[in-house]
Amino acid sequence: MYRSIGLCLVLLSGVVLSHEMTPTYPTWSISGVEGVKKTTMQIWNSRKDVSFYEVGVFNNKWKPIPFVTAYKIIKIDYLSKVNFDIYIRTQDIVEATYVCSLSKLRSNNESKTLLATRICSKFK
Amino acid sequence: MNKILITISLILGAIPVLAENIDITGNVQSRCTVNLDTPGAYGNPNAYTLTTAPASAGQEPIVRFDVSLANAYKAEVSYPTSFSSSPSLPDNVAWTGAVTVAQTSTSDMSGYQAASSIAGSKRTYALTVAGTTWFKSTSIAVYGGGQAKAFPGGAYKAVVLAECIAQ
Repeated sequence: MYRSIGLCLVLLSGVVLSHEMTPTYPTWSISGVEGVKKTTMQIWNSRKDVSFYEVGVFNNKWKPIPFVTAYKIIKIDYLSKVNFDIYIRTQDIVEATYVCSLSKLRSNNESKTLLATRICSKFK
Repeated sequence: MNKILITISLILGAIPVLAENIDITGNVQSRCTVNLDTPGAYGNPNAYTLTTAPASAGQEPIVRFDVSLANAYKAEVSYPTSFSSSPSLPDNVAWTGAVTVAQTSTSDMSGYQAASSIAGSKRTYALTVAGTTWFKSTSIAVYGGGQAKAFPGGAYKAVVLAECIAQ
């Protein structure tokens, strides 16, 4: 009961600092360039302390897979979302397993622990 | 004249209101949101220790995971094993820490901690229930390679990594 009330208060308070990436299970589609496929992802940023996210594509052993985006580090303002396309060679599609976004942290002069968040979607 | 105006007003007022239901539709897709619930801070109970323990004036960082689909994600939360920025430290720092479930939105998640696995400083949880889970990452850094030397003065920062990985 108290947990439910607490959850409601947190959700209604509007001070959630969060990072979200969708879709969870992206799919590849034709890109208009022969031998290259693309997928579109969306990142939502409601972390006031973070303005940049780094995108990466990995295989199932977390080794990087070559890919192309407009920017690998994307600026996303507070309380906004960005759609971006990822292009990959058709020959790498079988190996590509995860696409991840990692928050980039800024330094300051306080003694504290920072939170880096990473969300990974999976190609099935 | 007034009677006419009043009559016209009554007639216009008697026209039935044409109401129509407008549907609002929405779609909740599978997603994972990682939230910073409570920022962490280091307390300095003695010259050679930095700790997030509240008893030592520290603050344990808490991260919240919201998932809208069961069995779609796993959460990986780590405690720090190095400082991301600090004054120059010529001696060794010994790190210890733990990641635990701090709170859950439903009792169905009560088995998360027992079912989790650990590899180094990273603990992995299978998010088998849709809802919200709070994870706490505690860390202690002791300076001096066992000789209890004082930390040099300055700002110390360490990073907790919280990952939500689609399964």
